[in-house]
Amino acid sequence: MQVQARLAREATIGRARTWARRHLTPAAFLAPATILIVLFFLVPVVATLLLSLTDISTVTFRAPRWVGLENYRYLFRDPFLPRILLNTARYVGLTLLFNVGMGLTLALLSTSVRPGYGNQVRALWLLPRIMPPVVYVLVWQGLTREAPYGLVGILTGSSRSWITEHPWTTIVLANGMVGASFGMLIFTSAIRSMSPELFYAAAVDGATTWQTVRRVVLPLLRWPILFVTAYQTLSLLTSFEYILLLTDGGPGFFTTTVWSLHAYKLALSNYYGNVQFGLGAAMAAVLVVIGVVVSVLYLRIFNFRALIGEPKIEVP
Amino acid sequence: MRGIRVRLERLSKRFGHVVAVQALDLEVAPGELLALLGPSGCGKSTTLLMIAGIYQPTAGAIYFGERRVDHLPPRDRDVGMVFQSYALYPHLTLFENIAFPLRLKRRSSVEVTRVVRRTAELLGIAPVLDRYPAQVSGGQQQRAALARALVKEPQVLLLDEPLSNLDAQIRVQARGEIRRLQQELGITTMLVTHDQAEALAMADRVAVFSMGQLLQVATPDELYRRPANTFVARFVGHPPMNVLEGTFTDGQFVAGSLRFPLLVAAPPGPGYLGIRPEDAHLRGSIPGRVVVVESQGRHALVTVDVGGVELKVLVDQGDRPAVGAQVGVGVEPPAVHLFDMSGVRIEP
Amino acid sequence: MPLLPPRWRLLVLVLAVLTLPIVTGVLWLLLTGWFDVVHGLLPVGGGSLENWRFLWTSVGGRPPLRIPLMNSLIFAGVVATLEVVIASMAGYAIARMAFPGRRGLLGLVLVLHAFPAVSLLIAIFYILRILGLFDTLLGVILVKVALELPLGIWLMKGFFDYLSWEIEMAALVDGMSRWGVFWRIALPMARPGLLALGTFALLSAWGEFILPFTLIVSSQRWTMAMYMQSFLSEAFTDFGMMAAVGLVYAAPVLILFALGQRYLLNIYTGGVKG
Repeated sequence: MQVQARLAREATIGRARTWARRHLTPAAFLAPATILIVLFFLVPVVATLLLSLTDISTVTFRAPRWVGLENYRYLFRDPFLPRILLNTARYVGLTLLFNVGMGLTLALLSTSVRPGYGNQVRALWLLPRIMPPVVYVLVWQGLTREAPYGLVGILTGSSRSWITEHPWTTIVLANGMVGASFGMLIFTSAIRSMSPELFYAAAVDGATTWQTVRRVVLPLLRWPILFVTAYQTLSLLTSFEYILLLTDGGPGFFTTTVWSLHAYKLALSNYYGNVQFGLGAAMAAVLVVIGVVVSVLYLRIFNFRALIGEPKIEVP
Repeated sequence: MRGIRVRLERLSKRFGHVVAVQALDLEVAPGELLALLGPSGCGKSTTLLMIAGIYQPTAGAIYFGERRVDHLPPRDRDVGMVFQSYALYPHLTLFENIAFPLRLKRRSSVEVTRVVRRTAELLGIAPVLDRYPAQVSGGQQQRAALARALVKEPQVLLLDEPLSNLDAQIRVQARGEIRRLQQELGITTMLVTHDQAEALAMADRVAVFSMGQLLQVATPDELYRRPANTFVARFVGHPPMNVLEGTFTDGQFVAGSLRFPLLVAAPPGPGYLGIRPEDAHLRGSIPGRVVVVESQGRHALVTVDVGGVELKVLVDQGDRPAVGAQVGVGVEPPAVHLFDMSGVRIEP
Repeated sequence: MPLLPPRWRLLVLVLAVLTLPIVTGVLWLLLTGWFDVVHGLLPVGGGSLENWRFLWTSVGGRPPLRIPLMNSLIFAGVVATLEVVIASMAGYAIARMAFPGRRGLLGLVLVLHAFPAVSLLIAIFYILRILGLFDTLLGVILVKVALELPLGIWLMKGFFDYLSWEIEMAALVDGMSRWGVFWRIALPMARPGLLALGTFALLSAWGEFILPFTLIVSSQRWTMAMYMQSFLSEAFTDFGMMAAVGLVYAAPVLILFALGQRYLLNIYTGGVKG
């Protein structure tokens, strides 16, 4: 009897330990990531929304007041708002067009030549992406200098920097050459994963290369194209790094200032002597809300269930 | 004998709504080799993984001797296991793979070397110990996996389809080796397999599973001679038993226009008649027509249409009939198996 | 495509023309760094070490080069290490462990992966101020790691998904704990993944501009990106010297590119964010 009671007690203790381990072990694995993500993703999302409801600025940094939707009302009355909206649409639209178009062109061409050439070209297009942005922008500035120095200046014979003369072209091209490799790589692996028999069948059916691309490859690339477009729309909407470095929103007054850059400058740079942190936060809050809604939508569109299998080990 | 008794008590496992193992009661005697036999997805591997401690049972208990172990993590259970893929660590040499359990127990390096060498020699892989798993043959990998399971001298040895990735030729040889080693060491062993020939050849007793249920536990001989139901009857033995669906009436089994005389009494009503191809012959009196003849080396498997029912008969190659020939099928009456309408064996 | 079109050589030519600007850019950087005056791509006049004077003197009141260089090395090294370790741990738990909320967590990681983190910069600035980590290297390091974690976790989860369950089971039966299995079995087997994420994190942190630019003020804590930007924002840029600084700054990237193009292509194809 005693032995049995002891065994039963041990089993109970054992089960309690199992339960504890079962929850504590995953918690230990996840703790560092959770802390960082809460601190620098989840809290900032809430903080952006809260800050946008205050009058926080250089002057009131220590003791901000709640002002409700005052910042948003101010935004709507801003006479430069239409200009900034137009700039943002132009920036996102044109860059996206270049990114997807160039990405598709490069993917189709580089998979249609000997693999050695194709890989070489794709590798070179990776360079703008892995270059430090500051160095990349320096190269752009150097190449677009005025006549005796810059290559573009020599070719166009212009005595002014191309960046000042055609700021939008420069911004779209500079961003586009970084962004095109994203689509290029995704489209290339999509093309590579297509069954070779598909191409053999098209050839046997008498299709030319162009017809094969037009009627077989492009329809099959529909989803990757949609994915790249959706993904890059969101990241272009919020990115301003290259604009900041290339033109800093100029030349002149707001010529190339987009929404995200304006928010950044209002909140974080001494453009006007006194930074308007709350106002910047209100502009950022608009982007944050768009970002949350759109990225949750992605999750619904892409088949989430297929991505997670059940674990096959139940040892805590 | 260092074997220990393993006892499973009402052991159950559910994955969500899927029942993988249903209230299993099973006992393995010390030093015995018990095979768990069944088609894939029948719950036999799940049972083994619960015994190893990889899965937590939904209900029930597992005992090693008197000790209840189902709440213990795998490292406290003292089991050795060989996996279907061998699961050798690709970044370690065979020596380090085999030494792994000993190193975890912090044995001295002298002892590790001694034990690993001895085990490797026992299994004939001593010359390849400094190679990596990818550099040796499948047979050598399989032995290394076995050596790794044995070095720590476990109380229980678990083998999960250990031979199914081997070539047919080596497989038969490995069967014998594992069995000999297991008997020498006297270690309690559970073997999961879907290959009935392997189970019959190696095990002291065989437990047949289907859809999470234990159908029969018996010695190989008993399993072959007295299958407990139609599933076991069809699954054990090669070529598989003929199981005909029909009706028992006084002294006869009727299926289609076939009337098969019975020497034993069966309760009247629908049921099944089982005849092993090797128990049937073509020198009998039931008229039939040959439909297919498959050559099987020494024997030929003949499919005969007997009154609208197909019956397979194993004959010597010399006696093989031509397709379309009229033949007379016969069965030694003691060699038939009777099952009731739910498939359960009727004892004569 | 499996079948070469008949005039594929023409397509190579088209590709070469499209890719010409990139080659031109690299060439410009190399030439401008080494020659005193360059017109277009043509060196005018000789070369001297005048462009490289930043190596031994501090230029225009800026800290000497070794300070931003050291800061960048520390920044990139620590970010990559932390990112790989933390993302592996979390990725392993999500891929291989059963715990309540696992699906929700993976969903969150995916949403954050798509979410544009730059939009949080203003709030992050405020939070670092509150935490007292503003204008510290540690602060920027933590932010950079955090913002790249969703990608890292997602990538590592993918690598762990492909490991053999049986090997992990074997290690458990052999006597390991799950910590042991993670460090001694799973991590070594996921080495390609660790290398890919590590390379990506190194490159990304090395080039990072906007985070230090926003979150660091003192020139003693400048990174290379800030050091260079301080020249770029001047009214008259000394392009010769800038190109030389750029060559120093981009040297690790260019060397890696020269040695491991195929490798870089592979890891960037493996689902790295644009």
